[in-house]
Amino acid sequence: MFFLTYLRRELRRRMRQAIFIAIGLAIGIGLVITVMGASSGVKAAQAKVLRALYGIGTDVTVTTKPTPPKGAQGSVPISSGKATPGGPGGNGSHAQACINGKCYTSGTIDTLDSGDYGPLSSTTIAKIAQLKHVSAAAGGLVLTDNRIVLPTGSSSRLTPPTSVSVNGTDISHPKLGPLSNASLTMGRTFTAADKDAYVAVVDSNYATVHKLHVKDTVTLANKKFTIVGIVTQPQASSPPSVYIPLARAQALASNPATGKSMNNLVNTVYVTAASASDIGAVQKELAHLLPQATITSSSDLASEITGSAASAAKLAGALGRWLAVLVLIAAFAVASLLTMAAVARRVPEFGTLKALGWRSSRIVSQVLGESVATGIVGGLAGVGLGFAGVAIIDKIAPKLSASIPSANGGTGPTTHVAGGPGGASLVSPAATHTTIAVPMSASVTVGAIVLAVLLAVAGGLVAGSFGGWRAARLRPAAALARVA
Amino acid sequence: MDITHETVPPPPTSLYRLAGVSKIYRKNGRDIPAVRDLDLEIRAGEWLAVQGKTGHGKSTLLQLLGGLDRPTAGRLEFAGHDLATGAETKIRKVRATSFGFIFQSFNLVPTLTAAENVEAALIPLGVPHHERREKTAAALDSVGLGDRAQHLPGELSGGQQQRVAIARALVKSPDVLLADEPSGNLDEDTRDEIIGLLDTLWRERGLTLILVTHDSAIARRAQRIGVMARGRLSIRQDTRA
Repeated sequence: MFFLTYLRRELRRRMRQAIFIAIGLAIGIGLVITVMGASSGVKAAQAKVLRALYGIGTDVTVTTKPTPPKGAQGSVPISSGKATPGGPGGNGSHAQACINGKCYTSGTIDTLDSGDYGPLSSTTIAKIAQLKHVSAAAGGLVLTDNRIVLPTGSSSRLTPPTSVSVNGTDISHPKLGPLSNASLTMGRTFTAADKDAYVAVVDSNYATVHKLHVKDTVTLANKKFTIVGIVTQPQASSPPSVYIPLARAQALASNPATGKSMNNLVNTVYVTAASASDIGAVQKELAHLLPQATITSSSDLASEITGSAASAAKLAGALGRWLAVLVLIAAFAVASLLTMAAVARRVPEFGTLKALGWRSSRIVSQVLGESVATGIVGGLAGVGLGFAGVAIIDKIAPKLSASIPSANGGTGPTTHVAGGPGGASLVSPAATHTTIAVPMSASVTVGAIVLAVLLAVAGGLVAGSFGGWRAARLRPAAALARVA
Repeated sequence: MDITHETVPPPPTSLYRLAGVSKIYRKNGRDIPAVRDLDLEIRAGEWLAVQGKTGHGKSTLLQLLGGLDRPTAGRLEFAGHDLATGAETKIRKVRATSFGFIFQSFNLVPTLTAAENVEAALIPLGVPHHERREKTAAALDSVGLGDRAQHLPGELSGGQQQRVAIARALVKSPDVLLADEPSGNLDEDTRDEIIGLLDTLWRERGLTLILVTHDSAIARRAQRIGVMARGRLSIRQDTRA
C-alpha cells in the first residue's frame, strides 16, 4: 500500500519526465506492433497464395520431370488451308493435326494431357505415406484439357485451340490438394460414391465465364462431366478450372511419354508432415526415397514468389524490424538515462530512507516499480499507436502483386498451329508464372500485444535497473552529505 | 539498634563505547582525517551536545554514532552491537529500531504527506498498516501537528517540517535521538520552539540525545558538551549525576 502511494506520488511529481519516457517507449512499441502487423499481413497474403497453390493441409509436393516424348509424340502439329493433303505443315486443302502419333484431318480433338510433370506410380504414394515424419499423402493429376476443332469442308478457318486446367482429385483425401482450400458456393463437393463417376466440381470464375451451373456439363477428353458443385478459391490464386475424380482423370489422361492412359499413375503427390517442425525431415526422407523427384515445400515456393508482395515481405522483415529495434533501443536508452538522472536528483531522499533503516532492495524495488509503471503506460499507449499504425497501413497500403510459379496448371503439349490466318504461331495453354493481385490486410495479433506488454515491462525494468543499481550503491552517509 | 541501609543506585549503563575511533577520508590521493583517535562513553539517557567549527568532524562523529558510516580504525559499540565491523544487515536493523535522526534540512520526502513521511520510518520494522497509522497519528500529535497530517512538506513552514522530522524520528520509540543542527535552518523563535520540544521529549521519554550544534545557547541545555577540533573531542562540561 505504502509502496503504491509512494510510487503514485513520485510519478505525479515527475509527470513530465514520466510522460516523456512513456511516449518514447510507446513510439518504439507502436512501431514494433505496426511492423509486426504489416509483416503478418504480408505473410498472410503470401500464405493465401501458397494455400491456393497447395491446399491448406499440404506441406510438401512431390513431382517429377516429364520424360521427353518419343518422336513427334506430345506435339500437335496442325496444318490447314492450302496445306498439302496429309503433309503436316504443308499447304494442303485440309487441316491435319497429329497427337501422340495419331493424325486427324477433321472433327474435334479433345485430350487430357499431363505435360509438365512426369508420372508417379500409386505405390510411390503408399511408400511416401509410410515415411516416419509424414502424416498423410495423396496423389493428384495436374492436367490440361486441350481441345482443337479442325475445320470442315471448304472452310480454311481454324478455330483457336482451347485449354482448360483440370485437377484429378483424390476423393479419399479431401484435406489434401488444391480442392481442400476451396469454399463451396453451390451444389456439393465430391463424395465417396463419385469415385468413378463422370462428375465435376468447377471453379466459380470458370463457371461465371462459361455460364455454367450445377447440373450443367463440361466436356473433357470428349466425355461429358455433370457439374455437381461450384467452388471458390482464395482471390490470390490461380486454381484449376475443373476438378474431377482422380480415377476418372487417370482413365482419360494420356501419359505423354507413352501415349497410354495414366491408370494407377499420378503426377503430383501432396504430403502433410507430422508437424511443422518435421517439414525439413520429410524433405530429406523424400529426397532419399525419390532421388529424381522435385520436392517442393511451401517455403521453397514462397521463395519463388516475386513481385511487390515479396518486396513488401522483405521490407517488413528486414528494414521494418531493424527500424523498430533501433527505436526501441533508443527508447530504452533514453528511459534509462532519465531514470538515472532522476535517481541522482533523489540521492538525499534515498539516503534519508536508508538512514531510517530501509533496505537497499526496498529502495531498488521502489525505483523499479516507478519505471515499470511508466513502461506499462508506455506499452498501453504503444498498443494504441500500433493499432493506429496498422489501420493506417491498411488504408494506404498499395495492392500487392505476386508472381507465382504455376503449380496447378499443367502446360500440356505445346500446340503448333500452322497455316492459319496469322501464319504459324505457338500456343502455350498455360504460362509457367502467373502474376496475381494479393490483397494485404495488416492486423494486430495477440502475440504482438503480448510482446508489447513484455517489451514495456522490459523497458521499465532496464531503465529501473540502472536507476535502482545506482540507488542501491548509495552509502547513507555519502547520500546525506549531498544535502549539505 | 536500627541499621539504616542506604539504597545505592545501579551504575549508569554505557550505551556507546568508542575506543581509538578514527575516520579518515581519502580525497585526490590525500588522507583527510575527520575524526582522530576518539575515546568516549555515552550513557543511556544522557544528552550530549557536540560543538565545533565547520569541517572539524562533528557531523562525521554523528554519522558514526548513527551507524551511517564506519570508522576507519578503532572500536565502536552500541548496546553490544559492533558498529565498526558488524554486518551491514545488523547495522541496518539497529538503525531501523534504535536510532532516530533529525537533520538540519529536515530531509522529508517531498511527495509524501506529513503522515506518510512519519509512516516511512515504520516500514523497515514491518509494522502492520493500521498500527502504523495509529503510531503516526500519535507521533504527529506529540509534536503538535495532528491537524497537518495530510499536508505535503512544501505546504508546511520550516518549523513545522522539522516537527514532522522529529515525529518521524520518535515514531519508532528509538533509544537514541541523533540531531544534526536541528535548528540550523530555522529562525530564532522557531529554534527555541524546536529545542524546547526536544528538551521536553528527552526529559519525558528518557531518550539519549546526541545533538550537534554551533549554537552555544542550545549546547548549554545538554548534560555534557563536547567540542570537536581537528577531529579530536574534548569534553568541556559535564553535569551528569
